[in-house]
Amino acid sequence: MLVSVAWLQDYVDCQDVPSARLVERLTLTGTEVKQVREVGQGLAEVRVARVAGLRRMPGSDHLWLVDVDVDGGGAEPVPVVCGAQNLHPGALVPWAPPGAVLPDGLRLAVRRMRGHESRGMLCAPDELRLGDDHEGILLLDEGAAEVGAPLSAVFPPDRVLELEVTANRPDCLHHAGVARELAAALGRPLRPPDLRLPARAGTPAAERVTLEVADPGDCRRYRAELVTGIGRATTPAWMAQRLRAVGQRPLHPVVDIANYVMLDVGQPLHTFDWSKMGGGAAPVAVGVRRGRSDEELTGLDGVTRRLGPEVLVITAADRPVGLAGVQGGAGTAVDPDTAAILLEAACFAGTTVRASARRLGLRTEASARFERQLAPTLPEVGSARFLRLLDQITGAQLHPGPVEAYPGRRPPAPPVIIDGARLAGALGLPLSLERAAAALRSLEFTVTVADGRLAASPPPDRLDVAIPEDLVEEVGRVVGYDQVPATLPGRRQAVGALAPAPRGAGLALDVACAAGFDEAITYSFQAEAVGRRLPGAGRGQAPVPLRNALGPQWAWLRVSCLPGLLESCARNQARSLERTRLVEIGHAFWGPAGPDQPTEPLLAALVDHVPGGGAVEAAERLRRLLAVLALIGERVGLSPLEFQPVEGGEPGWHASRCVHLSAAGRWLGVAGEVDEGVAASFDLRGRVVAAELRCDGWLQDGGRVPRVHPVARTPAVVEDLSVVVGERAALGVALRAVRAGDLPQLESIRLLDEYTDARLGPAHKGWTFRLVLRDPTRTLTGAEAHAVRDRVVTILSLAAGARLREGG
Amino acid sequence: MRPESLAGLAATARAEVAAAVDLEGVEAVRLRYLARRDGELTVAAASIGRLPDQERGPMGRAFNAAKAEIEQALAERRSALLQTTRAQAAEAEWLDLSDPAVSLELGHLHPSTRIQREVEAIFAQLGYRVVEGPEVELDEVNFQLLNIPPEHPARDTQDTFYLTETLLLRTQTSPAQIRAMWAQPPPLRVITPGRVFRRDNPDATHFPMFHQVEGLCVDEGISFSDLKGTLEYFSRSMFGPDRAIRLRPSYFPFTEPSIEVDVSCFLCGGAGCRVCGSSGWIEILGAGMVHPQVLRNGRVDPDRYSGFAFGMGPDRIAMLKYGIADGRDLYENDLRFLRQI
Ligand SMILES: [Zn+2]
Repeated sequence: MLVSVAWLQDYVDCQDVPSARLVERLTLTGTEVKQVREVGQGLAEVRVARVAGLRRMPGSDHLWLVDVDVDGGGAEPVPVVCGAQNLHPGALVPWAPPGAVLPDGLRLAVRRMRGHESRGMLCAPDELRLGDDHEGILLLDEGAAEVGAPLSAVFPPDRVLELEVTANRPDCLHHAGVARELAAALGRPLRPPDLRLPARAGTPAAERVTLEVADPGDCRRYRAELVTGIGRATTPAWMAQRLRAVGQRPLHPVVDIANYVMLDVGQPLHTFDWSKMGGGAAPVAVGVRRGRSDEELTGLDGVTRRLGPEVLVITAADRPVGLAGVQGGAGTAVDPDTAAILLEAACFAGTTVRASARRLGLRTEASARFERQLAPTLPEVGSARFLRLLDQITGAQLHPGPVEAYPGRRPPAPPVIIDGARLAGALGLPLSLERAAAALRSLEFTVTVADGRLAASPPPDRLDVAIPEDLVEEVGRVVGYDQVPATLPGRRQAVGALAPAPRGAGLALDVACAAGFDEAITYSFQAEAVGRRLPGAGRGQAPVPLRNALGPQWAWLRVSCLPGLLESCARNQARSLERTRLVEIGHAFWGPAGPDQPTEPLLAALVDHVPGGGAVEAAERLRRLLAVLALIGERVGLSPLEFQPVEGGEPGWHASRCVHLSAAGRWLGVAGEVDEGVAASFDLRGRVVAAELRCDGWLQDGGRVPRVHPVARTPAVVEDLSVVVGERAALGVALRAVRAGDLPQLESIRLLDEYTDARLGPAHKGWTFRLVLRDPTRTLTGAEAHAVRDRVVTILSLAAGARLREGG
Repeated sequence: MRPESLAGLAATARAEVAAAVDLEGVEAVRLRYLARRDGELTVAAASIGRLPDQERGPMGRAFNAAKAEIEQALAERRSALLQTTRAQAAEAEWLDLSDPAVSLELGHLHPSTRIQREVEAIFAQLGYRVVEGPEVELDEVNFQLLNIPPEHPARDTQDTFYLTETLLLRTQTSPAQIRAMWAQPPPLRVITPGRVFRRDNPDATHFPMFHQVEGLCVDEGISFSDLKGTLEYFSRSMFGPDRAIRLRPSYFPFTEPSIEVDVSCFLCGGAGCRVCGSSGWIEILGAGMVHPQVLRNGRVDPDRYSGFAFGMGPDRIAMLKYGIADGRDLYENDLRFLRQI
């Protein structure tokens, strides 16, 4: 929303206020000022000129030699070289003569370009600080000013504020409303708009027009005025200047006045050409109803659109002539010859206009205002303002009227009441009711104070004020939130829960980071095909589709984090980064799609990708990955993680390098080397190892609480034990068997070395374990230590077919 | 045994010490002459006690002199040998320590996670509990119970991904307010971090997915000044003790009054710079007093209780705090980006 400070001055003294203060005061009322543009500064030396003729500069593909008429008389045209491509003979343009200084400080001179003389220059909007456009020369409207006049006659000095208006405040989408905010913020008096009507005469409008609103839910009020005898005139300079300053293009008086009134007091108006409506002696039946799917209408923008029941239309003799609240129809549009109009000032339902505009794919200044639900009192303000201006500018005959349908008329709402203690308590600011009342009155509220309570009625266009909390806000923002002290709720009442323990997922993430994995965050959506390639912990789960995805690559909610991580690996590979190790802990979505919310399991996924890595390296990385998972289980898991090799593999994974992950008998996920073909389908070169497991229900908030066993101080016997096993013997199985073997004197067993050696025989490998043997109460004898060791060998032979290596 | 023979013994020992080529050789000489039980000098000394009185004195002195002579030779030779070994090691075991040359491969938290943890820690100090809500939410909870009925203009700014007529990807973490009130009667202090979704194609400032942290405090007598104090505490904890905050009236359907909160620019201190757009203020969050209808929707009696709520974006805070210029970096997982955090 652009507002002109010169225009605001009609309603409140503000032209003397420095820009910085205007910005600060308005921003602190809640209407944020995005930008202040000084327009019309330094334009007195720039002149309005006309392009008399132009031709290409020989040898240039973009420069033009332009002859410019700069005084409108018989003087010789001035030569100017110009690089813009939007000129045509007769165009009215700004010309900066030699010696002039542009707003950006550039001083012009006579120059020669490739042998051609150029006197001054033709200016683009940005060079004049009249806009951001630098594409072409600013083309002035015909009649904007005489040739030779200073450009400041078209754009007088002004400041234009760009406002960001929140959805609940349509009253700040026009100058009178912004002025009201500004008056309150500056503590200055507000001048009301002039709403006196011109005299009425002639045939009563009611004899020419009948009105029917089909559904009061769509249109709370429809007010029509009949005006004839409109004279030919041009839009006055002051109005054209103001419209230009806020980015509008003046056309001709009837349209400009309607536009002006909308920006002035906020009521969107529409003017129908009365003769094109079929106006004459017989009354015209004007209706407001929903469109029909076999109807269409060509709008003012020249586009023909199919209507339908979502679209509210204005009809004349049941024929659509306008898109209610959005845009008028081309067939009844006013033109410079229009002598009679039917003026529409209506209050359409915001939701209806919103649905219409969305269905039509057409959002206009009018629809944007109606969508925010305007007040039903506004049409009489808007039409009064229009009729008065029209009378002044073109001269016109206003017929007795109006003709009005007002099905949405309600008795005035009772005042909103708040008691003093509640007001002060809500703000946390001791505040007298008188001060609160003064704040509200500055915003044109009607306020009475009695018995420690305040009763306030907002001005009729403030539909957003309805409950006591709204008064709290109005008082707060006028008094200023900077006046409110800063307190903490803690001074009153303690809350049950104290600081949260670090959450399980966070601890797991810390373990993965400590092991060298960088945390990635990938999108929660993916292509279904991608999701099916490597579903990880989401194996067998139904993916849930989005109804309005941004594209097929993001059409489904993810069942697994792995595809997203592999895509990230591919991106890093494409950027020549050497090795990618990523971890993501996040939610996936498991269907079925349906009326209920899908399950949102918390998944932890890890990938380790080495472009160009081979089988041996992948094996080493996979073991490290399992070690990281085991560590996460040890630190944060409710129960230790177990690895169960999958014979014959699993779809998506290497045929013999894949393991199921479980804890306390519950399946959590899968780890392994990613199938070569699957990796290639993500454009990944070399080997990738990955894991994904479901964390909710397994990770423990706050981490595992340790249980400490006493530390024995008796001496240990440390023995190394070498055994020979088959090449596919399972270490996990062997170690689990030993640990389950009820050997209280075996303090620990760990693998020191796994090796192959020709002397072991074909298809065999060697394991060397280190055993620490200890009894907490006494020193073990050699015989006792031997007995434990022999027992370990027996278990290993039963569990893994191990035999003692000779000499081991 | 005569004093001269002890001197001879010492001379021999000295020659042997001089001939020793390493520390082991030196030690062997020491043991041969000075070992506690059978060293040659030790054995010789054992007989001194049996000598007649007049011979005992000279022999004792000769013994002490010989022992001192051998010990000195041993010490000198040891020292010389150590010097040599040191010099050799300096040559043979030279190590370039100008750089670690290996790296401990620590992973890095994502910047949004890092900020989210900071936010959680700050509010934990104020007694807030972290709770989570579903990412697939009911239209009713995401919108309607927050005073955003169908066709409400506020839905325009939150273009929404739908799964069905009634299910959507949450556009904000605010529905967590409703779920928190359902789950626990007041007094209540919770924050909810998580992913939210808007139907925007990704560019430098828009993403189809980003993060928010929602906060809610409901109790008897909670006032706007409590909201202000809480946000001031948060801003100073997050951005530095000298920060000022500015509350601007704004509009959210589910709070009344509603505010947007600016913090004085932590780069320029409020003088104006590129980051704060010359205003000296940076917008960091939206907040307000919970709308009485929203309290009712959360089954809380608005005549007895009041509360405030706030919401912020860890992604945006990370961008501001770490100087991330292009938000797309947050979701590309480029290692060069992640490893700077
Ligand atoms: Zn700054």
